[in-house]
Amino acid sequence: MRARPGGAALLVAAGVTLLAAFGVVACRSRTAPDVGAATVTALASTPAAVAASVPVSDGRPPRSAGAGSPVRLRIPALRLDAPVAAVGIDQATGEVAVPSDVARVGWYRFGPGLSATAGSIVLAGHVDSAEQGRGAFFRLGSLTRGDRVTLTGPDGTGRDFEVVARERYAKTAIPLQRYFARDGAPRLTLITCGGAFDQETRHYRDNVVVTAVPR
Amino acid sequence: MRILHPRRAAAAGVAALVAFGGLSAVTTGPALAASSQVSVVHGIPGQPVDVYVNGKKTVPGFEPGKVAGPLTLEEGAYDIALTKPGEDLGKALLKVDDAEVPGGANISLVAHLSADGKPTLTPFVNDTGKLAAGQARLVVRHTAAAPAVDVRAGGEPVFRDLTNPKEAKADLPAGDVSADVVLAGTDDVVLGPTDLSLGEGTATIVYAVGSAEDKTLDVVAQTLTGLHSAPGGVPSGSGGLADRGLSTPWYAAGAVGILLLLAGALRLRPVRRTVPARR
Repeated sequence: MRARPGGAALLVAAGVTLLAAFGVVACRSRTAPDVGAATVTALASTPAAVAASVPVSDGRPPRSAGAGSPVRLRIPALRLDAPVAAVGIDQATGEVAVPSDVARVGWYRFGPGLSATAGSIVLAGHVDSAEQGRGAFFRLGSLTRGDRVTLTGPDGTGRDFEVVARERYAKTAIPLQRYFARDGAPRLTLITCGGAFDQETRHYRDNVVVTAVPR
Repeated sequence: MRILHPRRAAAAGVAALVAFGGLSAVTTGPALAASSQVSVVHGIPGQPVDVYVNGKKTVPGFEPGKVAGPLTLEEGAYDIALTKPGEDLGKALLKVDDAEVPGGANISLVAHLSADGKPTLTPFVNDTGKLAAGQARLVVRHTAAAPAVDVRAGGEPVFRDLTNPKEAKADLPAGDVSADVVLAGTDDVVLGPTDLSLGEGTATIVYAVGSAEDKTLDVVAQTLTGLHSAPGGVPSGSGGLADRGLSTPWYAAGAVGILLLLAGALRLRPVRRTVPARR
């Protein structure tokens, strides 16, 4: 058969359509690049004040402090209003015991609390789960500089933060010491999973970290 | 080393010399920093003191049961003296001269009663090794005029047969424990029970102080912070819904698109060339 121009044009049109679709999907699937990494480093290395005279403390046995547990997290840009639960460490793994209910966000209770004047208040939440679907932090990676985050205590008083950084790290390379620091400037750190998903281990490769500072 | 106050301080001074000597032997290894953190613990009932370091009044009006510091002291030898508040340094209650402070250590210098009831100064090196996330360190130091004891947590003995001036320690999950002290091998409670809140990433050092005979047994607690470690990770997704990477079908679609384009172009090319020739 000699080439029919109509047939060839059809092939070209189909090819262009497929490529265009591929291009659109590829563009949309691009992960947002990191912003504000230098700010995070600077926040972590803010020096503490040095006392002038020798402090004398009472030698009474320590009591639990009740470090200001936040109870609610609001992020208007994500239309998120999630309950917050105090969480610790999963003794079996040594990792943060992120709440199994993906609609809840976990506050790392061993670190700084709502009223912290130094260090990183850490909130960890699920991006999703195989059983429950999308989690509270599903769209955490779309937050950007200037977005507002409000953390509320049990008495209803809120503390406003403003996003200054969004970073993505391979879980094997993330500087967790920096995000779980109890010194440095007061800041709020939101952590979830992201990046490529390994179907065999059922784990994401990366952590997405958003840092916000008090407004 | 010279000993000023003849009777009481003699025993104290010798004890401290021995202890400091042992101390420097222990810490001569990895002394990275040249300065040490030194806290002073007051465990002698009923006698407020002024603490002098190298002849300088450093902690005035130091009450029993309190903890002062930490002081940052450069590695070296120090004269340490305790006087009654406002009294002359020459009339020191306790005095240790040329006490060696090693570099890079965290030390608690404890004024307390020896097992037979004499005032003494004992230095302890504090373990400031990092704790795993979620853990707390409990250290118990027997610095009371009392016989050997067992320390119980929640009714179970955790440290056995502790004698003055020894310590015992353990790393435990952070949280609240109820602890008491019994005469070694018995259920005779001599101290407590005391509720302890063991803070995560901290070391809680509990000193048994006072005298069993005088019924002044008590506890003094000191807390070291900053021993925490970050958790091992943040596992927060198991669904794969947020994987925004392109799946294989999309790459296949892209590849097919390219093939179709090439095929179409190849067919169009000869058409353009041959059409005029055939007519």
